[in-house]
Amino acid sequence: MLKFLVYRVATIVPVLFGVSVVVFLMMKLIPGDPAEAILGPAATTEKIEMVRKSLGLDQPFYVQYVRWLWKVLQGDFGTSIAVNVPVAQLVWPKFWNTVLLTAGSLVICIVIGLGVGIVSGTRQYSWFDRISMSLTLIVANTPAFWLGLILMVVLALYLGWFPATGMYSMRASQKTFGDLIHHMVLPAITTASVSAAIIARLVRSSFLDVIRKHYITALRAKGLSERDIILRHGMKNALPPIINIVGLQVGYLMGGALFTEVVFSWPGIGLQIYSSIVARDLPVVQAAVLVTTFVFVLVNLGTDVVVAALDPRIRRA
Amino acid sequence: MEEERTTFETLEAAFVEGRLSRRELLRRSALIGASAAAAHLLGSLGLARPAHAQGTPKKGGTLVIAKESELDILDPHSAGGWVTWRVSKQMHEGLIDEDLTQANVPYPKLIPKLATSWDVSKDSLTYTFKLRKGVKFHDGTNFDAAAVKYNIDRCAAKDSPQFYARANAYTTWIWQFLKEVKTPDEGTVQIVLREPYGDFLRQLVQGGGGAAVFISPTALKKYGNEGIAEHPTGTGPFRFVERVRGEKVVTERNPNYWGTQPFLDRIIDRPMPEPAARMTALQAGEVDMIYVPHPDGIAELKTKGFKLEQGPAPHVWYFAFNLKDKNYQDVRVRRAINMAIDREGMAKQLLKGTAVAARGLQAPCCPSYDPSFKDYPYDPAQAKKLLAEAGFPNGFETVWQTSVDGSGQLIPVPMAEWIQRDLAKIGIRMKLRTYEWITYIGYWIKGMDDASNKVGGQQMSWGMTSDYWLDIVTNSSHIAPAGGAGQNGGYYTGADAMLNAARGEMDETKRAALYRKINQKIKEDAPAVPIINDLAPLMLSSKVKGFVHAPEEWYDMTTVWLA
Repeated sequence: MLKFLVYRVATIVPVLFGVSVVVFLMMKLIPGDPAEAILGPAATTEKIEMVRKSLGLDQPFYVQYVRWLWKVLQGDFGTSIAVNVPVAQLVWPKFWNTVLLTAGSLVICIVIGLGVGIVSGTRQYSWFDRISMSLTLIVANTPAFWLGLILMVVLALYLGWFPATGMYSMRASQKTFGDLIHHMVLPAITTASVSAAIIARLVRSSFLDVIRKHYITALRAKGLSERDIILRHGMKNALPPIINIVGLQVGYLMGGALFTEVVFSWPGIGLQIYSSIVARDLPVVQAAVLVTTFVFVLVNLGTDVVVAALDPRIRRA
Repeated sequence: MEEERTTFETLEAAFVEGRLSRRELLRRSALIGASAAAAHLLGSLGLARPAHAQGTPKKGGTLVIAKESELDILDPHSAGGWVTWRVSKQMHEGLIDEDLTQANVPYPKLIPKLATSWDVSKDSLTYTFKLRKGVKFHDGTNFDAAAVKYNIDRCAAKDSPQFYARANAYTTWIWQFLKEVKTPDEGTVQIVLREPYGDFLRQLVQGGGGAAVFISPTALKKYGNEGIAEHPTGTGPFRFVERVRGEKVVTERNPNYWGTQPFLDRIIDRPMPEPAARMTALQAGEVDMIYVPHPDGIAELKTKGFKLEQGPAPHVWYFAFNLKDKNYQDVRVRRAINMAIDREGMAKQLLKGTAVAARGLQAPCCPSYDPSFKDYPYDPAQAKKLLAEAGFPNGFETVWQTSVDGSGQLIPVPMAEWIQRDLAKIGIRMKLRTYEWITYIGYWIKGMDDASNKVGGQQMSWGMTSDYWLDIVTNSSHIAPAGGAGQNGGYYTGADAMLNAARGEMDETKRAALYRKINQKIKEDAPAVPIINDLAPLMLSSKVKGFVHAPEEWYDMTTVWLA
């Protein structure tokens, strides 16, 4: 197990390095210059040079990259070009806001995905199975931002049950947990929708596989209750692929949050990346993408470890 | 066409008899220099839109505003864009200001702010400002002549310790002719210029680039040139509370303000880049006011009781031609294009009345803007004829470029496609090259003849309440030696002599007359095709009262109150 862990952790380093290089190059290669962006129509050649120099953009790109990497290793992501504050100060609070949203979405994903999947899987071709599987097929193919707008119009505007934008009420004197949850419902459902549908379908097929195995028939023959068979014996064998896909979905949830955050003005890392790309704010995009990648990789590592713990065959592979 | 000879009396008679709308009365009065009389007439008839005609104003409450993008830094010397200045302006003040409490004027009147009076020396080079006494910055320190000099030196004196290159870059148009700042006593400031700059006072009140407003020198020393953006410390009616990036900027009433106290307790500015989200937030009551509603959603919001505020603003959306491109060297081609585009149709059908057809290149809401200016009529047949005379009976192929989004850009792609369709009718096969805003601005600055990206026309949209803006966009002195620099993207030189002469004219009326002639000359030479003047629409919830949509791109929030 230790060897497996060391091996998996070691593979993370080149991934992160590769991502940092790609992100850096990408932002360098696309046309458009932060100095020009800052100045807008009022720019002149002289002014642009002045601003470029003040931002250190007159250096060759590899010098900029090495300088940046050296500082990042020390925890310093540099200063935002567009808004002139340390990037860490900008990115971390946004990152936690996204983690909150992702956590909320994950809860919805697991509850709905597992619940619907298990019931459908154990009652194949029942009316519940047919309706829920048709619904999941539709939802899994619905663009999240469109679903978000529909939820917003119906549940926030028409029925007035939930707030439409933001994370807390701007007029309230202080932030409360209840207010946060109230604001989180719609964006979390939006973010979770596709993943929940995918998980439900996967859990169903995973259960269908397991339930047809001979040992289940043997257990039934022994007279175990259906509940025990499914929850104690079926579940354990159906779990590894489910955990794998849930782990992957965490990454997709964070990615999906990008769209949701723009639609619902949720002040997370997605909205931040969006406005930073638009403003060509290189240090912020780099930091935000790096942090997101790091989490994605970390979650995958965690998933692998859990699956390895559940399934000894993987440890030896 | 016969021109009716107009006096204010004939206009008044026409208005009273109902032959003239209020807006048309104001437009035509401005033309004959009788705006004050028109405003008086409307006031006496109870038809003006005074700020407080909507009930008794009351103090208190938090106004939440949704803006179209995140704000730039809150350092007013070193930040650009109307979105940011709309917030910074509430916290910072300059020597003089524009009166933004009047909507029904052709352009904002200059009023005293931190200076109570000013005069200009006979040689037009020395401006002497008497400063207001007893004004304090938000940090409690005194505003005086030394503070004025400290701030101007930060922007313009390269040898001063507080000099900030970014502030210098932003405030070029304001301080370009500055020689020195003298402070004979603590209540007097003398600004000495190297050459007469007729529009200097109007440049002092601009805010779309850097602004000539004052930050507490104590705060500047304490936080430094970069740190000050996190601690805006001006003298304005609102003071800074907090900024959470991507979420909000909060300002509150300055209890020690020297002037009339604002009604609102607080203003919260929220960036919301998605138009649908802004409109939803307004309907859900989460915000009280939104900038840039999508043209397609305005009618529906109006039926739900939300108020649309729009009016003339210093904004022109235009395409400049590449005069180095062979296709555009014959003036008849450029005139033909001016005649081929149905601007009225675009304003009404595509932009749903949130903009009007542009008349001439000069942006509205400055002294020289002439609402009766006769631009080329929409006449595709004549355009086709002109094109044939110029040697292009079958038209030609060309590439134009535009952004797909960006500050003040409206809906650039559908607008450019509208133009594309109109040009096709006279045989010009225009291919459209589009970029997102930041990439676009890079190409725009490089100019249309840049080897990496040769195009025949390029789009931009901006403007100022200062006549000098016409100089910025058409004087060839603003073309950088390397050939780039986007202000005069078309390499036009035809108006240089006239522009240089107008710049030194100190009398506003005479100067406006000169710029009108220049605008006429530019129309004849047609180095560009002006398309649209935006009406800067915003939507308000019914509980927002006292808001004045002045003829500017930013507004005075001290008159606003919540019912």
